[in-house]
Amino acid sequence: MAKSNVMTGRERIRAAMALKPVDRIPWLPFVGCHGGALIGKKAGDYLRSADRMAAGAAEAVRRYRPDGLPVAFDLQIEAEALGCSLVWSDENPPAVSSHPLASGRAFSDLRIPAKDEGRIPVVLEASRMMRKAHPDIALYGLITGPFTLAMHLYGTDLFMKMLEDEKSVHDLLAFTRDVGLRMADYYTDAGCDVIAVVDPLTSQIGPDAFQKFVRNPASALFSHIRSSGRQGSFFVCGHAQQNITEMCACKPDNISIDENIPLDYVRDICLENRISFGGNLQLTVVLLLGSPDDARRNAVECLETGGETGFILAPGCDLPYATPPSNIEAIAVMLQDPYQLEIAKALKTGPKTRDLLDMSDYGQTGKVIVDIITLDSEACAPCQYMVESVRQVAPEFEGIVEWREHKIKHADSVQFMTSLMVKNIPTICIDGRIAFVSQIPPRERLIAAIRRRIYEKLQYKIRTRRGEILILGKNDAECDRAMPVLAQALRELGVEMPVTAVTDPGQILSYGVAVTPAVVMVHYKVKAEGNVPAAAIIKEWIKEIQ
Amino acid sequence: MEKLIEQLSICIESGKINRNSGYPPQLKGQDGADEIARQALESGIKPSGILEGCMAGMQRIGERFGRNEVFVPELLMAAKAMNTVMEHLKPYFQTGEVKRRGVFVVGTVAGDLHDIGKKLVAMVVEGNGWEVIDLGVDVSTEKFMETVGQKPGCAVGLSALLTTTMVNMEKTVKFIRDKYPQTKILVGGAPVTLNYANQIGADGYAPDPQGAVHLLDRLAS
Ligand code: B12
Repeated sequence: MAKSNVMTGRERIRAAMALKPVDRIPWLPFVGCHGGALIGKKAGDYLRSADRMAAGAAEAVRRYRPDGLPVAFDLQIEAEALGCSLVWSDENPPAVSSHPLASGRAFSDLRIPAKDEGRIPVVLEASRMMRKAHPDIALYGLITGPFTLAMHLYGTDLFMKMLEDEKSVHDLLAFTRDVGLRMADYYTDAGCDVIAVVDPLTSQIGPDAFQKFVRNPASALFSHIRSSGRQGSFFVCGHAQQNITEMCACKPDNISIDENIPLDYVRDICLENRISFGGNLQLTVVLLLGSPDDARRNAVECLETGGETGFILAPGCDLPYATPPSNIEAIAVMLQDPYQLEIAKALKTGPKTRDLLDMSDYGQTGKVIVDIITLDSEACAPCQYMVESVRQVAPEFEGIVEWREHKIKHADSVQFMTSLMVKNIPTICIDGRIAFVSQIPPRERLIAAIRRRIYEKLQYKIRTRRGEILILGKNDAECDRAMPVLAQALRELGVEMPVTAVTDPGQILSYGVAVTPAVVMVHYKVKAEGNVPAAAIIKEWIKEIQ
Repeated sequence: MEKLIEQLSICIESGKINRNSGYPPQLKGQDGADEIARQALESGIKPSGILEGCMAGMQRIGERFGRNEVFVPELLMAAKAMNTVMEHLKPYFQTGEVKRRGVFVVGTVAGDLHDIGKKLVAMVVEGNGWEVIDLGVDVSTEKFMETVGQKPGCAVGLSALLTTTMVNMEKTVKFIRDKYPQTKILVGGAPVTLNYANQIGADGYAPDPQGAVHLLDRLAS
């Protein structure tokens, strides 16, 4: 891939949709009613105010650094203008609750909504405000797909009507197509770059019905969008795998899908048809209910599957209102920082819990061990600075501090990192405890942290000091002569310690002593309690007494 | 006799309602479920035999739906064909000559307006011999409680398609449990899982209408 961030978001999306090279994969977080959550407004208050939608978009731009954003993610705008009643809720877009054509309204009475009907002026005003505030971001104007709008107008009996009265369904879809053509013009004039035709209800029909009823109206929309110099995207939410080929036949510039459809399946069919594609971060399990780690992992999976041609990274559909912003930010940061991305890729297949090392005794040697977990200090600037900071401080503690770098490009380093519960790169651990995360510590703070640890160890040493003094002599008398001197020394130090006389010649020899009297200091040290540590750790201890 | 039942099950499976209906094209001009059910009754076939023929057709189309071979429109047509047969059988249900398997009260929970999945479940369960009371969408806990109160011994089916309305499902289960502990409760809908069903104390979960029928039959026996 080329150097990062040389294109604007708008250029990046335009290029990806045309299957042209991009400096990095474009990022399209579908901030719809979730924008309300970002500015502390309920969905119902948000989607009815241009100012609020513009404010929500500004917040999304600041926090999520998107390449593109939808103006509004609300499939009820046209339906409302056409006389469907809506039920509003606090954390969801509104829902259609009445279907005019099922409750007595004549089809011939329906008119294509004008610019100033219903909430159309609100979303157009929001588009203009966003266009002005974010000239470098691709704006998506979302229109309700012809099939979904038909269902809003007629209700779900439309499904049966497709089999019983094809003609009236064709007529209805010709009308909803015309509504879409007009809406596409409105959004184009208001400054949108991409017109997305969102038709989730097509997920409930098979390819034959799709071809019979949806192909023509959808194709008309995409050819119109293209002739206005804009790009067209076809969104489905739901199990629409059976229709991807049919959707390609409508010739959109892009197809965007959710997690119900495997991304590799869509990639292969779309690229074969020279159409770009987007998706399919998992909305509920990952983005809404998961952690930033889950979000990063899911994004890496999508990126690896999506590849570098024609792929746009996006959630499967409208982000749930209550999505934790930290999950989306995690993806945004990672995408725009090649190091972060590499880290996430390296960590994607972390070791299983059962493979973790028992680190509870790590750092119990006489030395202070400083571990630096990095991507690779040669390849990652922050990692390099962190390693450098340790390298410079280490001589201050000559012989006491030992340091090493663990590059997570190696599998055993990943295991080590996970065992220490390190989550971020780079991180400094002192004697197995996380000390500095991501930030390069100033020299004084690093020195202070190491000192603190040395002091802790010293205290521990004093607490656990156990010893014994042996006096070796030919006989008891010889030993007794030495006793007062030892007693005095212990007394003066305020220490209690057993003193034992050894007169057995064999035992004396076993200490390597040839001439008596002699004094042997025995030093016991508790190194582990309640368990036997790993051999690697014991080896460190053995080295210490050799 | 056998032949009529066989024909009837084919009409149900393919959604052939009556002679006039143009769907499916390959059965155009032939008798549909409506006519065949009448002929069957006239020729002395027992209503319970007719019901079984319907159920066989419904099961086949339900399985094809589960395999993604047919989609919502086809399944709805089958259910509609089934309903015309039910009209013929109604008098026998009333006299008790054919027994309903039980009463199934179903609805989409409060705040949720998705009705396609719930509708399919309602229709397929009805087609399998249950009396179904479909309370519609956005159904409050109170409404469910009221209906369960009026239909002692009924089973209840709750549908939810939104994560935000799953809490209302939990609440409804809890209220029914507290007041009518014997009531069997099934739950379903795209975000609902068996795990979740257990967690909120429902008696069962099914991923599709055919599964719902099996579960109901098991819970009822
Ligand atoms: C069609 C659809 C709509 C239509 C609904 C039309 C209608 N009259 O029902 C419209 C466009 C109106 C709509 C609106 C909304 N939708 Co919607 N919708 C869908 C879609 C694409 C398909 C749902 C569907 O009908 N499936 C077909 C049926 C046959 O399947 P099913 O419902 O799962 O039912 C089957 C089983 O689950 C089971 N079952 C169902 N109920 C029961 C009950 C029992 C007892 C049992 C045993 C079994 C059972 O049997 C059924 C048959 O096999 C899904 C996508 C998806 N992945 O599911 C989104 C989806 C459910 N919608 C979603 C959202 C967010 C919304 C809106 C909030 C957004 C919006 N306005 O655009 C509104 C909410 C309105 C409201 N308050 O309810 C999200 C939900 C996210 C979440 N987890 O919370 C989804 C998952 C889309 C997405 N990926 O974001 N939607």
